[in-house]
Amino acid sequence: MEENKLLLKVKDLKVSFFTPAGEVKAVDGISYSLGYNEVMGIVGESGSGKSVEAYSIIGLLQNPGRVIGGSIEFEGENLLDYTPEQMRQFRGNKVSMIFQNPMTCLNPVYTIGNQLTEALTCHDKTISKEDARKKAIEMLELVGINNAEKRMNQYPHEFSGGMRQRAMIAMALICSPKLLIADEPTTALDVTIQAQILELMKDLQRKENTSIIFITHNLGVVADICDRISVMYAGRIVEQGKVNDIFYDPQHPYTRRLLQSIPRLDEEDDERLIPIEGTPIDLLNPPQGCNFGPRCTECMKICLRQKPPFAQVGEGHISACWLHFKDALEKEGEK
Amino acid sequence: MKNTFAKISPFQVDPEKIMETFDIRDDDFSSASSQEKESMVEMHKSISFWQDAWRRFRANTVSMVALFVFLLCLFFAFIGPKFIPYTYGDQYRTAQKLGPFEYSKSEDIVRSIQDSADAFYATALRPGSLTAISKGSYYIQYGGKTYAFTMKKGAEKCILLLKQNDPEPLQLVSEKDIKDGAYTKYTAIEFTDTPEEDAKELKLIKRVFPHVFGTDSQGRDIMARTMYGARVSIIIGIMAALIVLIIGSIYGAISGLCGGVVDFVMMRIVELIYSVPEVLIVLLLQVVLKEPLQAWFQAHSATSAFVKAMSDLGAGIVSIFITFAVLYWVTMARIIRGQVLQLKKQEYVTAATALGASNARIIRKHLLPNCIGPLVITTCLQIPSAIFLESFLSFLGLGVSAPMASLGSLCSDALETISLYPYRLVFPAIVLTIIVLTLNLVGDGLRDALDPRLKK
Amino acid sequence: MGTYILKRIIGSILILLLIMVVTFMLMNAIPGSPFLTEKSTPEQIAMAEAKYGLDKPLYVQLWNYIKNYLHGDLGTSLKMQEGTPVKNIIFHQGKFALSIKLGLLALLVAVCLGIPLGCLAAFYRGSWLDGLLRVVTTIGVAIPTFVLAALLLVVFSVKLKWMPTLSGSLTDAKSYILPVISLSSYYTCYIAKLMRTSMLDAINQDYIRTARAKGVKTKALVLKHALRNSLIPVVTYLGPVTAGIITGSFVVESTFSVPGLGKYFVQCVMSRDYPVIMATTVVLSALVIFAMLVVDIAYKIVDPRITLTTKED
Repeated sequence: MEENKLLLKVKDLKVSFFTPAGEVKAVDGISYSLGYNEVMGIVGESGSGKSVEAYSIIGLLQNPGRVIGGSIEFEGENLLDYTPEQMRQFRGNKVSMIFQNPMTCLNPVYTIGNQLTEALTCHDKTISKEDARKKAIEMLELVGINNAEKRMNQYPHEFSGGMRQRAMIAMALICSPKLLIADEPTTALDVTIQAQILELMKDLQRKENTSIIFITHNLGVVADICDRISVMYAGRIVEQGKVNDIFYDPQHPYTRRLLQSIPRLDEEDDERLIPIEGTPIDLLNPPQGCNFGPRCTECMKICLRQKPPFAQVGEGHISACWLHFKDALEKEGEK
Repeated sequence: MKNTFAKISPFQVDPEKIMETFDIRDDDFSSASSQEKESMVEMHKSISFWQDAWRRFRANTVSMVALFVFLLCLFFAFIGPKFIPYTYGDQYRTAQKLGPFEYSKSEDIVRSIQDSADAFYATALRPGSLTAISKGSYYIQYGGKTYAFTMKKGAEKCILLLKQNDPEPLQLVSEKDIKDGAYTKYTAIEFTDTPEEDAKELKLIKRVFPHVFGTDSQGRDIMARTMYGARVSIIIGIMAALIVLIIGSIYGAISGLCGGVVDFVMMRIVELIYSVPEVLIVLLLQVVLKEPLQAWFQAHSATSAFVKAMSDLGAGIVSIFITFAVLYWVTMARIIRGQVLQLKKQEYVTAATALGASNARIIRKHLLPNCIGPLVITTCLQIPSAIFLESFLSFLGLGVSAPMASLGSLCSDALETISLYPYRLVFPAIVLTIIVLTLNLVGDGLRDALDPRLKK
Repeated sequence: MGTYILKRIIGSILILLLIMVVTFMLMNAIPGSPFLTEKSTPEQIAMAEAKYGLDKPLYVQLWNYIKNYLHGDLGTSLKMQEGTPVKNIIFHQGKFALSIKLGLLALLVAVCLGIPLGCLAAFYRGSWLDGLLRVVTTIGVAIPTFVLAALLLVVFSVKLKWMPTLSGSLTDAKSYILPVISLSSYYTCYIAKLMRTSMLDAINQDYIRTARAKGVKTKALVLKHALRNSLIPVVTYLGPVTAGIITGSFVVESTFSVPGLGKYFVQCVMSRDYPVIMATTVVLSALVIFAMLVVDIAYKIVDPRITLTTKED
């Protein structure tokens, strides 16, 4: 991928939470890049830092969280150098975000229309009320809400869960942002609604030419919609690659275990789900070596002592595991 | 697929460089044992809910300080009276209207001579039971020795001095004669070594204790009264909170557990009581209950220990308790009902029911432990509000009656002479404020520590 | 909405009736006769009681009260100069107006000061301002009204002589200051504390994060999105505040010698002036119940999720 075609470049980003109990390295040096019109999935279990990472892009990190290193370049500009006011104008306009729980993410005391047009008016002072309203109705129709005109005057509690998430998507896309961050947008929804929302997002992505960072703990969800996938574990990316590479040729032991733990209908019946043993590590006291080491079945002595570097395991496919180096060394020995 | 190490920045790793940049040992690529793996994981000690709550409460400096100050107040109210020679009811006749740390004239006289004496007994100072030592035998134990003496007639206005190293250790001095420490001996005393059988013991005062908060118009020590008042106020607060706790939680639990028509009717009653302006009814109740209660006390206090205890508290306080029992439990009932309703819907309760747990078990094992948090918090915050109400009623002259005192009645008494003696209001008011303040803060701390919603 | 208000008004009248019955029973349970003095003979007492209908059976007396009240007749005082109509005492002598003026002013001060202070504290959470406000409000809710009233009286009227000692009938603006401060301070502090907590609660809600993600300005974030949501608990609290301010007025009126309804009520209870006790209780209760109704309607305006026809806890 050419440098100048990149929309977003995250480089060695480090985010820590300074709690009374000590520093929690929620994101511990992650790097990736995202092209225009590309959909990247970030997959990991809860607490792996995937949401924190997304919040630091859009500047929503709350105390005691702080970015302590690295850079986030958006169209060549480092977002970390932005002033709060620049950041505010950037949010919602260039990049917007939808969240996990549509039940609580809309303000209960204002109408949907009010909240939709607000997204427009706080970036475009010149827009007239009627225009904003027209645009909002248009967006509601675009996300498949019938009776948009009437729905504009309703309150969030009069919407169903799926409808609210549609409204959230409409709100996020109303300024035609270049990047949409979707933080578990389907997790709180029923399975049928999940499928509808995913379909809608795929559809809109094509129509609006928006790049998407799709954050989820559910590998099954991202298969359909993403171009590339980053697998995160305990604040680090452990494997990154094209969607097919991750699904059909996973290299990192964690990814493999993750894939084994999702139910699949196309496998034989005797294929059992294998849970990942153990619990996620305590980020207050991260292990010295590989974060996954203590839970890994193929753990080696070095894994407990040193963090593994990335290895290129295919085109655009990297994985951070000492096993790759073991293989490489063995091969060199054969020579 | 082959594992290759192609050059791609910034993730590039050169195979040769691995050996250089990383410290690789010979056995590094052999598998790690499970012990080795486990040693890398630091497990958190699992702690119980109460341990966790206590840990969080301890971490809350403000609440801890408040708790400490409240314990000091308890000490002041309950143990304090043991350390001062004055009592809440005694009127020290020569010591009226004194300011803080002031001494009455006779106390000053005693102070002026106390340098030369080891101890003394001032007969005219204390108008209580030992005011005038009448004729008869007395003994004093001091410095490991017993001094026994017979008092002759007419020595009432005297000061008894004890000088250990004097050939005549026990002396009686005329109060009138004392000027700047000089005094003449008064000889109406016979001194012996062994006390007679019917001799009474006298307690000598070793030094004059100041009236720290001053005295009131009747010559009562305000600090003693404040201590006593604080005790009465705290007892009222705790008792009232307990009454509210018992009635409110039982009512709320029944309402929440039964549901349906029972719940509907019970909640309408709560709403009714809630919308009645309680203070008007409280005022009426106070006036109404006073005389019937007194009649009841007189009729039954001889036969029933309970009634006796109630009558010791006095009609004013008992009617405050009745008021709380009638009107103030509704908030607690609402909270508990809400909690029970919420818990009833929880999956683990459904699960327990599905597993065949009895109702009693569900209440004991699931509902009760989960209700304890709100119960503790609400009860703790109920205490200051009961103290408030009591002081309000006493202020209007309806609470405790003299010579008993509560912080409210002390403030109320002080208000009559506020322009001349403002300190009489200040001290009880400060104690009242501190008690309410610390209880509020402790309650807040408890809420933060016990409320699972704030738990991360 | 209309039917709801109608229902509530009917309910309120029922509650008032109930309060009348309870008050009637309570005041008749006060031992002794209102005409019992050291000089009076049993015959004189009986005559006086007959004159005011106190010799009739209790249910007849109660029915008379209710009947008269429905006609707007509040009866005549047993004590004040031979049959002064109670209506005159309460309304025409300005007692009611005085208490209402004092109470409304205090309520206004509590709301207008408490809400912004709470917002400020929440907005500058952790700063010195927040710390200061927390100390002040925490102490404010621990000082009983009568203590504050007395202290203010001593400091500003007696020692500094800036304010009049007797506020009297509140004829000039200056005489309002101390009574209103003492009456409103507890509620100002309580509302500020409540507002701070609920504002912080609102700021941490998901919808605030959504609004931030939209790029809404911080000012609009607080004033538009957080404020209205955080007002809900404060509005709920306004019902008890109204009742509390009446309680407080008993104390404040007697401390500052304001001849209001609160001070008068206490006197009447002591002197067993039955018709006046009844009238004052009913008037004050009606006031509180009316305030509760207003609060419930205000609730609907603030929170669209509340539907007034189906009320739930």
